[in-house]
Amino acid sequence: MRSRTRFPWEFILALLIGLGLGLTYAWFITPVEYVNAQPSQLRSDFKDEYRGVIAAAYAANRNLDRARARLSLLADPDPVQALSAQAQQMLAAGISFNQVSQVAQLAADIQSGAMSPTIISTSQIVEETVPTSQTEVQGTTLPTFGESTSTQSSGSVIDAVTITPRPTTTPTFTPGPAFALVAQEPKCEPNKSRGLLQITVMDARKRQVPGVEIIVTWNGGEDRFFTGFKPEMGNGYADFQMTVSTAYNVRVVEGGTQVPNVTAPPCSNPNGSAYTGDLLLTFQQP
Amino acid sequence: MMFARIIKIILPLVIGVAMGLIYGWRLDPIVYVEVTPEILRADYQADYVLTVAEAFSTELDADTAAKRLALLGDNSPAQISLDALEYARSQAFNPDEIGLLEKLSTSMQTYTPITGENIP
Repeated sequence: MRSRTRFPWEFILALLIGLGLGLTYAWFITPVEYVNAQPSQLRSDFKDEYRGVIAAAYAANRNLDRARARLSLLADPDPVQALSAQAQQMLAAGISFNQVSQVAQLAADIQSGAMSPTIISTSQIVEETVPTSQTEVQGTTLPTFGESTSTQSSGSVIDAVTITPRPTTTPTFTPGPAFALVAQEPKCEPNKSRGLLQITVMDARKRQVPGVEIIVTWNGGEDRFFTGFKPEMGNGYADFQMTVSTAYNVRVVEGGTQVPNVTAPPCSNPNGSAYTGDLLLTFQQP
Repeated sequence: MMFARIIKIILPLVIGVAMGLIYGWRLDPIVYVEVTPEILRADYQADYVLTVAEAFSTELDADTAAKRLALLGDNSPAQISLDALEYARSQAFNPDEIGLLEKLSTSMQTYTPITGENIP
């Protein structure tokens, strides 16, 4: 009589069924209850709201280091671009210009690094204060702004000292002088140019400034728009489609002088055929 | 014989369920990528309220502050600001920050939402 070892199909099948039941229960019926989330995990609309509040707080205390540290919690790849894009969306949504300008101002100040004295370096703030582990238990101290804090993690108490940049030490912001036209360049690029009025607005340090209102008027019409709507072109960039043989007056609203008789420049191909070029106007604070 | 056969099935089934639970809860739990602010960690929530308080200190707009606080869940803005104030005190925030939170909390205690019913 020969002894025969049978493959344990029943065992394997029952194990797999049990595994499936267990996973179903763990993932779908009673998934892990999520607590202690980080701002970087917020839904995008909540992140927008958070950015808006950070910008409003910055408008109140002019503390750029603190605003930077808070924005870093959202883990945007490029906070300036995120703020600029949000300012554009807010404008498009018809949100009050005051709120939009707060967001745009914060973007501009972060980009320029101005408006706030350096108390400690930004990298130091972020390194010392932004928690990185999701496993930290509830009850840890403020991520950024405690003076002398104790962080309880996995049963041990770690003393950590963070230096707080104080709002009271920040000087009051004063708006810069009016924007003036510093360059007017026709751009003739066959197959690309199409009569576009391109405008770049920069501050005195030649950093592009978002959220600046531009007014273009012509015989029988007017258009208003803001810089920063196309962050891929630069935060201080805006453009306007011109019509051939129409003269426009262009003005930067914030105290800028008017640039009269702006027209789409005529260009010609090497073969002699004519086309309409683009015009780049650059405004800068002196 | 029948009992042994049942054991042969029940035992691996139980082992499988246990393995599934361990994997689904511990090794590879559901990861939430788009969470709501109400499950932010307490320190982040407190800092958010402090941010609102800083803005409120110059805006003095209780309605806007209440809307911003409402992001943190179903509790009333007064309760949210009070919780943050208590947290700030327990964690020894600096006096300026506590002062801002107190100001916000006081304002929220007396805040009445503007609704259609309030408008004559």
